[in-house]
Amino acid sequence: MATAPSTFEPGPDQFVATDTYEVGEQVSAWQDTWRRLRRNRLALVGMAIVIILALTAIVSTFWTPYEVWRQSLGPTYQGPTGKHPFGLDDSGRDILSRLMGGAQVSMVVGVGTATLSSIIGIVLGLLAGFYRGWVDAVVSLLINVFYGLPDLLIVLLIVAVTQQRGLGNIILAISLTAWLGMARLVRGQTLSLREREFVEAARSVGTRDQWILIRHIFPNALGPIIVQATFVIPAAILFEAFLSYLGFGVKPPTPSWGAMASDGFRSLQYAPHIILIPAAALCITLMAFNFMGDGLRDALDPRMRR
Amino acid sequence: MSFVVNKGETLGIVGESGCGKSVTALSILRLIPEPGKIVSGHIWFKDRDVARFSPEELREYRGNDVSMIFQDPMTSLNPVLRVGFQIKEAMVAHERFDNKTADARVVPMLQKVRIPAPKERAKNYPHQFSGGMRQRAMIAMGLSNEPDLLIADEPTTALDVTVQAQIIELLRDLNRDLGTAVVLITHNLAVVASLCTRVIVMYAGRIVESGPTRQIFNSPQHPYTWSLLQSIPRIDSTQHDKLLTISGLPPDLSNPPPGCLFHPRCRFRVDRCSKEEPPLEEVGPAQAARCWVLMKNALAGAEPAR
Repeated sequence: MATAPSTFEPGPDQFVATDTYEVGEQVSAWQDTWRRLRRNRLALVGMAIVIILALTAIVSTFWTPYEVWRQSLGPTYQGPTGKHPFGLDDSGRDILSRLMGGAQVSMVVGVGTATLSSIIGIVLGLLAGFYRGWVDAVVSLLINVFYGLPDLLIVLLIVAVTQQRGLGNIILAISLTAWLGMARLVRGQTLSLREREFVEAARSVGTRDQWILIRHIFPNALGPIIVQATFVIPAAILFEAFLSYLGFGVKPPTPSWGAMASDGFRSLQYAPHIILIPAAALCITLMAFNFMGDGLRDALDPRMRR
Repeated sequence: MSFVVNKGETLGIVGESGCGKSVTALSILRLIPEPGKIVSGHIWFKDRDVARFSPEELREYRGNDVSMIFQDPMTSLNPVLRVGFQIKEAMVAHERFDNKTADARVVPMLQKVRIPAPKERAKNYPHQFSGGMRQRAMIAMGLSNEPDLLIADEPTTALDVTVQAQIIELLRDLNRDLGTAVVLITHNLAVVASLCTRVIVMYAGRIVESGPTRQIFNSPQHPYTWSLLQSIPRIDSTQHDKLLTISGLPPDLSNPPPGCLFHPRCRFRVDRCSKEEPPLEEVGPAQAARCWVLMKNALAGAEPAR
């Protein structure tokens, strides 16, 4: 090794940049996800049901076959007829109309809770995972304290203290119990992502912390975040129905599937349709969201495929 | 550990794995991974001590004054962001260029690092780049703010041999054309020989030899340097000898051997080596070595210097 090895010098015109270079077909991550999702039949069915539900909720804001609150449309406890396909309830209200109105409540609560709890969870999770130290200690403590408290207790307390039973209040109450999962997930993702080399590389060119969090860490955690948020929706819908069933949900006569089921429970023996119909709607909705969530999870993270 | 990089110079740091090359480089940018920290000493950059920088000064310094390219280009780019955007981000972080100018500089930067069809490529995601192209994109990112010093931490280790040559060629040309000083960290002596004017040989966190590249390759004075050079297969060798190896591993630095850190593995050791650690002493014009014996004595078979 007396002199520098001459074999290490490539020819001077080794790099001829051609401007006629063809770049292959561009497939964005979302198109790719959609391709995988399309192959999952169950997820597609779930998605279709969710879309129908959403449309129903939208339609019900300005049109239902009968007003949801109008009583004595016919004999109380009447079973399904041509005029009222799902029958009438104990006050003679049209169950189909009320089901549609209930879909709206469910969707608003589900999506609202998913949004609010995701915002809380993402912000706290990102901060805890990125800055660690005392920030993480505080957030983790908060998560553990909330984890230890029964969800129902928190929600009942909030409803009782605020003395309000509007949709917003219910969303807030459920969100306060639902952000834990998201915060944990995001914190974990952040802890692992912050050690990745591209974060170090971003730091090495002087990128600001906030920018690293928003542009580097958050988008890389987006897949799991979407999946988690999708699973929060059915959980929140179920929780709202549960609250309404107990009588702590939205104020009557606003229809809610839980409240409708509660009404029907008393007449289970002679008019079972009053409880069966909202219960079935709830079941189908929850399953649809779960199938969709499962499908999204598989589609967003191909490595997790079973 | 003390060394100087002059303006526009190319300095090589060599040594086997785990001898502190990368930590040295990360220290210059104050990017040492936790729980490591700088306990004492100074890092002077243009008469300012980097070791005493505030976080904001540090952020300004990274990328603007000194930037770094990493070993593995596969993981150093954020997979969810377009390459052009990531290069632009490095510029926007320092407010040296406004949004428009930064945008306009992306394509020329890619061109400068010889990426074909830079305009189209800027819109690509990292997974659409080959390894060599990603490393070039990293170099473009590192150079986008025209830093005075570029630290390349084993920039060719993860690439195949033909691409290695291209990257080295590119670094050499950029050094010549832009006057950016380069610190090249590697264990590949051929790369050092072809790029660097000066070289530092590290062993167990210490400089064991330093000097002009030509001189070190011609007459290494430290047995470690000598052994490294002897362990490279030579294409012009007429003898069919076995290659020399250095037996054993670098010492555990939490429990270092007494005296010279290299003595347990040194074939030229004398008694004094296990008792006292030799100082880094001038052994030739601009060349220094940390050894009691020195190769000129060892090979001559003469009595080692006292």
